[in-house]
Amino acid sequence: MKTGQELRAGHVISIDGQPWLIQKAEISRSGRNTAVVKTKLKNLLNGYLTETPYKADDKFEDIVLDRKDVTYSYYADPMYVFVDSDYEQYELTADELGDMGPYIEDGIDDVCEAVFFDGKVISITPPNSVTREVVYTEPSVRGDTSGKVMKPARLTNGTEIQVSAFVEIGDKIIIDTRTHEYKSRAKD
Amino acid sequence: MLRIIAPSFYWQQETPERMKQIEIQTWDIFCRVIDNYGDIGVCWRLARQLANEYPFQVRLWVDELTALTQIWPSARVCEHQQLENVDVRIWYHDFDPAIQPADVVIEAFACNLPDSYLAAMKQRATPPHWFNLEYLSAEDWVEGCHGLASPHPQLGLKKIFFFPGVTAKTGGLLKERDLLDKGEAFSQDSDAREQFLEKLGVETKSGELIISLFGYENEAVGSLIDAWSQSSTPVLCLVPASKILPSINSAMGQNLKVGDTFNKGALRLQVIPFISQTDYDILLWACDFNFIRGEDSFVRAQWAAKPFVWHIYPQDEDFHMVKLDAFLKHYLDGFDPITQDAIIRLWHHWNRNQDCLDAWNTCLTNLQNWQKHGQKWRQHLNSLGDLASNMVHFCQKTL
Repeated sequence: MKTGQELRAGHVISIDGQPWLIQKAEISRSGRNTAVVKTKLKNLLNGYLTETPYKADDKFEDIVLDRKDVTYSYYADPMYVFVDSDYEQYELTADELGDMGPYIEDGIDDVCEAVFFDGKVISITPPNSVTREVVYTEPSVRGDTSGKVMKPARLTNGTEIQVSAFVEIGDKIIIDTRTHEYKSRAKD
Repeated sequence: MLRIIAPSFYWQQETPERMKQIEIQTWDIFCRVIDNYGDIGVCWRLARQLANEYPFQVRLWVDELTALTQIWPSARVCEHQQLENVDVRIWYHDFDPAIQPADVVIEAFACNLPDSYLAAMKQRATPPHWFNLEYLSAEDWVEGCHGLASPHPQLGLKKIFFFPGVTAKTGGLLKERDLLDKGEAFSQDSDAREQFLEKLGVETKSGELIISLFGYENEAVGSLIDAWSQSSTPVLCLVPASKILPSINSAMGQNLKVGDTFNKGALRLQVIPFISQTDYDILLWACDFNFIRGEDSFVRAQWAAKPFVWHIYPQDEDFHMVKLDAFLKHYLDGFDPITQDAIIRLWHHWNRNQDCLDAWNTCLTNLQNWQKHGQKWRQHLNSLGDLASNMVHFCQKTL
């Protein structure tokens, strides 16, 4: 059990039987040496976000989630199938792909982290960066090589992303999956 | 009977069954008396207002009724009594599991409801509106928490954090519907002040500055006594018997009791009885300046709109000073810088047990400005609505 004042970002707690990730917890002193803990919570089953205050002495069951490395294997409409090192398969809907959604395509070998609650995968976290090929972008404007000017580019799976002006069709680029921003061109 | 349509609630989607008309008739207020009279003062005032200004049946559960008998003399220490249309009950540690929850439940100051009562709340076809009524604070973070739902970790019941406050994004302050009219009528009646003070055994003299002095233990009182005794204006200081009396006796080398008077230079100090909530309001109206303490009298002093100094409830690591300054930031907005500085010094020194003499004398020269400012501040507070009405409106808006 954890008390309200012990809650920290990254903890997962049970509220009314559902797993909630604490994204932020701020303690404020109330009257007579009591305290209020304002939390930002994310429901790990449905992605619902909320801000919720608790008393410092409220008690919570903390949840230790199982985690496994998995890689994307194939699409079986409407499910995306991932596989772990033991060839165990896990099916996820498009909504459950989270930050990995924009980067799913056939043939990738990115090692993702699957998070389990009650034996079921509830989320997939991609690696912090992935490498993808640009299949279409406008030609760069002559003379501008500063890297500060951005332009749209389309990846193999149709995802659009802003890239530096000097990126060309066929280039492989590195993308930060936490911010969904272009980082650099990948070296061959 | 108040008829309420329950709209969707932002914590989770309402089921069609819950999107039905519900009626609010009954309220339960739970109060634990930690110390002094602040907890019971706020809860009793809220209970009376809900029972007398709305068609509600109100039960007040109190674990220590002796405190209530101090602020409301007709109250008795007994298991069950009907008082001012409020059903007052003793809150025993071993709470009766057969008690059925009310339509609205107020958990005052995070006092933790009995487990059996919580279980009964969960069993209701329509869960009650459940409020955690928090302490008054003017700190910025309060606005970000006021009105937010807090689902019970195990039961899922939704509790609303409701904060009293002095800004539009909070729940406002407790104020009975007729309070300001009563205060105005008192100030218009030229005999009312003398008659009231006479009832307390106080005789006034022309030209006196009348000060009420209610506070916790405070060594700084000696410096105030010095200031008042050396004052060019005669000062009458009325001290309701309270925790500050030993500090006064210590500073003056006296052993004053209720009814005793002490004279020193321009100062005439008189100890009056501990008075009821109703009489305390009148005392605040009757005085030119009020020293008050805690939470309930702090709120009443603001409605009285006279210059006042707040002795805030002390907290660990001097954290109460943060709360004091947060209030001053709002309260002093619009004051000229010199008066602001003097008021801040006086409040700080009073709350830090430090010499108040210079700060008091500076404030005294700006008393008229302060009086006018107090009335503006009261207008501002009045524009926020009152806490009980805001709570009722909150029930009307949300489920």
